[in-house]
Amino acid sequence: MQGFIYLVSAYAIVWVGLFAYLAVIMMRIRGVRTELAAVQELVREQQEKPTTS
Amino acid sequence: MALANRDTQTKHRDTRMGTPGQHKNTRPPIASLALLTLTFIGMMTSIFMIFLYVPTDAIEGIPQRIFYFHVPIAWIGMLAFGVLAVASIGYLWKKDERWDWLARASAEVGTIFITLALITGSIWGRTTWGTWWTWDARLTTTLILWFIYIGYMMLRGYMGRTPASARSGAVLAIVGVIDVPIIYESVNWWRTLHPQAEVGTPGALPPEVVLTLMISLVTFTLLYSFLMVQIYQLQKMQALAQQLHADIE
Repeated sequence: MQGFIYLVSAYAIVWVGLFAYLAVIMMRIRGVRTELAAVQELVREQQEKPTTS
Repeated sequence: MALANRDTQTKHRDTRMGTPGQHKNTRPPIASLALLTLTFIGMMTSIFMIFLYVPTDAIEGIPQRIFYFHVPIAWIGMLAFGVLAVASIGYLWKKDERWDWLARASAEVGTIFITLALITGSIWGRTTWGTWWTWDARLTTTLILWFIYIGYMMLRGYMGRTPASARSGAVLAIVGVIDVPIIYESVNWWRTLHPQAEVGTPGALPPEVVLTLMISLVTFTLLYSFLMVQIYQLQKMQALAQQLHADIE
């Protein structure tokens, strides 16, 4: 029985660890995408400024 | 190197700014979806084989099944460091930032895998040796690799995204990769508790065990590839965002 607990613990740690890491990656990608969109918008505004003035 | 090659064509477009298409280029490629699907199928197959197909070990019993995850995870931990070292050599040679993205991606994924290898190994050790940890050659050299990974991540995190950081990291990776063959050969060079590599030795392992291990190895390699694509894309977007910020300022 104790052997079974060790087996389940090992697999649970691997799965929880990998899923947590995957979730962190997805959040980081989403964060960088948002940041990138905001910076691109700023750049676009900056590029448009000389033509309008 | 397919990633690096594909990005060669988009590099100049990416470093220019403000085009709507550019944001689209930072989206993960279709390859990542294919890799995720293959990983999922492989993982389901592995789990089925580990728990229902492969026979229970006569000596170690049920906990021996940790082996089918522990070995592939440790393999990825070492493979990732090999990729990190190759990418570091590529960076020092070509001075191309894409090699550095590859190196950083491999270091990050490798750190996760080597940590999981140490944890699963420790649990397996508790069931077979009766202790969570022993200063065995294989375990100690793997712990050294973990410290090298952590050192690399700390160095890169501290120095930021600069050429000096990339160079320093590359040197650390090239020196650190020496530990990988030492880990592999440690069971042959020193008297250890850790089992020796028996895959490839005729009759050492039942065919069901070898087949299950091979499928698990392929699955984890696919998972590593999938994670690499994600982190590489992340590195690429972070570099682009940093460049755009610098251009604005």
